Amino acid sequence: MFEYDFMQRAFLAGFIIATLASISGSFVVLKRYSMMTETLAHSALVGVAVGLFAGLSPLWMAVIMAIFSAWLIEYLRSSFHLYSDAILAIFLSGGLALAIIIVSLGGAFNNSLFSYLFGSILAVNEDDLVTMGIFGSISLVLLLGFSKELFFIAYDEEVARTSGIKVKMLNYLLVTVVAVIIALSIRVVGTLLIGALMVIPSIAALQYRQGFIKTVLISLSFALSSVAIGMTLSYYYSLPSGATIVMCVIGFFIISLVVNKR
Amino acid sequence: MRFALPIFDVASLSLQINSQVILDSLSLKIFSGEYDAIIGPNGGGKTTLIRLLLGLEKPTSGMIKIFGKNIDEFKEWHKIGYVPQRASHVDAAFPATVLDVVKMGRTAKRGFFARYSAEDAACVEDAMKKMDVLDIKDKMIGTLSGGQRQRVMIARALASKPEVLILDEPNTGVDVVSQQRFYELLRKLNRDEKLTIVFITHDIGVIADDIQRLFTVNRKLLTCNNPKEAISCEDMSRLYGVDAHLLSNHHHHH
Repeated sequence: MFEYDFMQRAFLAGFIIATLASISGSFVVLKRYSMMTETLAHSALVGVAVGLFAGLSPLWMAVIMAIFSAWLIEYLRSSFHLYSDAILAIFLSGGLALAIIIVSLGGAFNNSLFSYLFGSILAVNEDDLVTMGIFGSISLVLLLGFSKELFFIAYDEEVARTSGIKVKMLNYLLVTVVAVIIALSIRVVGTLLIGALMVIPSIAALQYRQGFIKTVLISLSFALSSVAIGMTLSYYYSLPSGATIVMCVIGFFIISLVVNKR
Repeated sequence: MRFALPIFDVASLSLQINSQVILDSLSLKIFSGEYDAIIGPNGGGKTTLIRLLLGLEKPTSGMIKIFGKNIDEFKEWHKIGYVPQRASHVDAAFPATVLDVVKMGRTAKRGFFARYSAEDAACVEDAMKKMDVLDIKDKMIGTLSGGQRQRVMIARALASKPEVLILDEPNTGVDVVSQQRFYELLRKLNRDEKLTIVFITHDIGVIADDIQRLFTVNRKLLTCNNPKEAISCEDMSRLYGVDAHLLSNHHHHH
């Protein structure tokens, strides 16, 4: 299957996404931000709709919209004492509603929007790969560079704050990086499924009850394997790539639960 | 006092939330080398006082100086170790070993992108030795007993080489034997390492002999005594607004 350029691109894109999603997902899960991933994916969809409607790059618009709503959510959460899960619910349905309206105004591009909802390996082009490479590298450097601070904040935010760590700034940084990663991912995995790729490998890895670094590495290996297996199956059996990848991740999750049952 | 400059210098500190007075014009000084306890009824503002001292909440009015600096200008937070209430209750699944948790204490000192140096490693090991958790350093934090976790939390605070340690009800969820061992360790840190220690507590009977100063807080700072002069029932009644004997019975049920 690697004789096809589009499959090479798809695997490369898939591995980039798996790496970013699983590493950032570890912090997201520990901070109880899991639902944030679903919400940001729907905000990114608004960006895609705007991009298609206005003839701009859907990927770039998705990145911008996801970052914008991540900041707005974080601001509302910290400044208005609203329930954070309720804020996420509002943004999730609000984002979807807005995307639907923009799509219906545009009329004829429903098919390409469909590929953003469920992901499509055929949809990844050279430009997408370049954008993923640039944003992905920046995100990875930031995540790894601030990993010890983010880990401390996830464990105990107040103690981290009293020890002199810039908690507020780093919370914004984390949601920004997560927003970027989600926006990059929707091409491959799709809006409705990216949350799974971010959250489930980490939850599966947590079942092994290891220290932080080992847990992240286990999560990373589950995500990479799921992309490889899922894309291969999707190629040979003509299955939708995003959904197949997510089912593989869930397979790893179930195995992890059973193996570590006590 | 041996040193002129107090670590904490608090004057006319007040906090109101939605027109409810939480703390009312409270003033106190804590000096280097002290071993002090804060007591008072639940909802009397003990925890709020500590949170104000740590900058986690902003007062409505009043002044807080830390090491002589106004709290807004104070930057050397690594000098203050904080062990919050219910620190012994952690998420059982959190992917951290004892070593992972104690290393967190070095995070702010290391700075962004900085590598884990030999000095960091030495401070972490020293802190674990002092709190007697070195032999369990590779265990997962979620598998420890309440007493062990409590010592790990203090080791984390010690890893940043603080000059003062603030603990909020350190013994919630810790058995009695561990409690006594725990207070011995704290006292030893205070005596041998000249570490200033301030803690909120309920079990004043266990440690009354050792405490240097006892602050009783119920919206106001009511008393600030030497605990060896036993607290009278009259004081207790004034503090808690109920009969002191009833109160002490009530506390046995906790």
